[in-house]
Amino acid sequence: MKSKRPSLPVSYRLAVTSRVLAAAGGGYLVAALASVCISLLSPMTRAEAVVSGMMLSFVFYLLAVIWCFACRTAWQAWGGLLGVSLVLGAIDGVAYWMAH
Amino acid sequence: MLLPLLLCYGGFAALYLSMDRHHRDLLGSTPSARRRQGLKVGGWLLQVLALGAAVALKGWAMGLVLWSAVLMFSGLFMVLLLPYRPRLVLALAGVSVLLSPIAAFTQL
Amino acid sequence: MKDGFRQSMAWLHTWLGLTFGWLLFAIFLTGTLAYFKDETSHWMQPEMSVRPLDPQASVTGAQAYLQKNAADASRWFISLPDAREPALSVMWQAAAKPGERGKFVEKLLDPQTGEEVQTRASSGGEFFYRFHFQLQMPHPWGRILATLAALVMFIGLITGIITHKKIFKDFFTFRPRKGQRSWLDGHNAVGVLVLPFHLMITYSSLIIFMSLVMPASIIASYGKDTQTFFKEVFPASDTATPTGQPGHLLPLAPFLEQARQHWTDGRVGRLTVNNPADVNSSINVFRDGADKIAHDFGSAVSFNGTTGQLLGVTPEQPLPMAIGGSFYGLHMGHFAGPMWRWVYFIFGLASTALIGTGLVIWLGKRALKHVNGVLPFELRLVQVLNIASMSGLVVAVAVFFWANRLLPLGLAERADWEVKSFFIAWGLGLLHAVLRPGRKAWVEQLGLAALLFAAVPLLNALTTPYHLANSLAQGDWVMAGFDLTCLGSGLFLAWAAWKMQRSGHAVASTQKQRAAPISLKQELN
Repeated sequence: MKSKRPSLPVSYRLAVTSRVLAAAGGGYLVAALASVCISLLSPMTRAEAVVSGMMLSFVFYLLAVIWCFACRTAWQAWGGLLGVSLVLGAIDGVAYWMAH
Repeated sequence: MLLPLLLCYGGFAALYLSMDRHHRDLLGSTPSARRRQGLKVGGWLLQVLALGAAVALKGWAMGLVLWSAVLMFSGLFMVLLLPYRPRLVLALAGVSVLLSPIAAFTQL
Repeated sequence: MKDGFRQSMAWLHTWLGLTFGWLLFAIFLTGTLAYFKDETSHWMQPEMSVRPLDPQASVTGAQAYLQKNAADASRWFISLPDAREPALSVMWQAAAKPGERGKFVEKLLDPQTGEEVQTRASSGGEFFYRFHFQLQMPHPWGRILATLAALVMFIGLITGIITHKKIFKDFFTFRPRKGQRSWLDGHNAVGVLVLPFHLMITYSSLIIFMSLVMPASIIASYGKDTQTFFKEVFPASDTATPTGQPGHLLPLAPFLEQARQHWTDGRVGRLTVNNPADVNSSINVFRDGADKIAHDFGSAVSFNGTTGQLLGVTPEQPLPMAIGGSFYGLHMGHFAGPMWRWVYFIFGLASTALIGTGLVIWLGKRALKHVNGVLPFELRLVQVLNIASMSGLVVAVAVFFWANRLLPLGLAERADWEVKSFFIAWGLGLLHAVLRPGRKAWVEQLGLAALLFAAVPLLNALTTPYHLANSLAQGDWVMAGFDLTCLGSGLFLAWAAWKMQRSGHAVASTQKQRAAPISLKQELN
């Protein structure tokens, strides 16, 4: 008679879910903010800068997702992404204000 | 695209043999340090020549794309065929290297 | 997640691969089939015969048709026939209220007669093409999901590279006939050796829909005025505002030659006419995309439709647009002639196999712990989804072709019924996978697919006069090639079914062998 496999603790499952949400949602935020940053700061015409920003955004999404699963805790996943988002957001804000 | 294909395939075969484990499997003996280096250098040289040929034939844009396609194709072909017909792979590599000067002469 | 960077990336690779693998397999298989969409359409609408190419006659015929049927449209689109696509395609966008998007209507014309083509109604190869990025879902949800899947594929590829410890040492390693080890070798080999293609196809698909999924930078730089962005990126799609005054559109054919003078070489691919009935009409002549790799979206020569005056030639693309265009062009492979199209097809199958082997390995590794064959619910679910999404999909593709030959020609909404047959077959495949034990389901579905594909040439011969004997005699290589490729696929699938059945017997016999020594030991004791 096979013994029932021990199922994973709820805390583990919560941590995984947390990281997934951070990666999916927070990753998108970081990617979008990075694309805006590139498009506002690149020394090119407006259309060229926007295209460049969009093309590069997915690399940032990739890095954000990797961070979310490589860092030691789920809290760090959120913390890291929020920190990066704040910095990018600040740069974006300043660049936007300066351009208008 | 025949010339780059011949050169890429030959190059991959040389690089394959430059690895001790594979050299033993295919030829029965471990390669000497000199032979290993020779095969490595030769293999890389053939790949670079293949790139040169592709660019000479089709220009930089198309040439780079075509070279990477030929590289992937010849690598895949060789690795999938090796477990089943190792001697054929080796023979084809020899033929490729021998035919490439002729292909170069007619195509370039 | 575990400690260690590589281990956490391996965990991520494994779980992303599983959750999105079924969808990605479908996207990659149908996308691969789409490289031969014109050839598939030719087989599925064989009544459309190939004519010698005459661009001038084609444009004149198209103009006459559009003048009769779409005189008050806001835009006309004319795609000239080429070596792969024998029909003349016309499309028009109906005039719409400001702010609304006018409806598009598309028709195929016979380039010689200028009349609508009289073939059986079918989506042809276009079905696979559209499915692989729209997923049969309403706009824009299918594209968003497909692009999300592409992002997951990208992360899967990168985490796979990070995880593969001996990527250089094992570069040439492939050891078949060794069970799970061989599946992993195959997955790694196909992954590493064709890696540039996998990365190119995946990243380019992100770029293709980037404006849809990542519009933040457009909004930040252009605010509400997103139309200006698109006009700057695609200058020739600029629809000049209609004045409301009727105008007479000049004959279009002479503009082909005038446009070509601005290009060092090259053919005309298509024309668009903005506001054809208005005095402020404009004619844009676009180069054939097959002329070079980088797709130049906006590049056209523009003329005033009423006076014939040259309005402009779009300047050379700036670098970022050229890079984006290169990704687009590499993904589409418009430049690819017959040989390169086969190379694209083989590499596409390699990407599909990468995903498929991954799914098999995921289950195989965990199923090993359940030697008596009874899988817990979650593994059984994975097994059913594996079977349905892989062999089930292949059966559905075959059924799509069979439906094309068997459905009555006069059936209403025939094209829709062909597509419905595809999905019904796929659904039945899922049901079959639920009802049958795992290995048997694989063998039966692969066997059915083998039968259906191998019998395509026979089916073709029994239902149409365009069978192999005729197509080979007339030199219609596309028709013959399609029949023969189906036959070849059938043979491959039959081999796969046979291997699957044999490995089932091997497992059973090793289990018997394992039981024997144990009882012998017991006797000795």
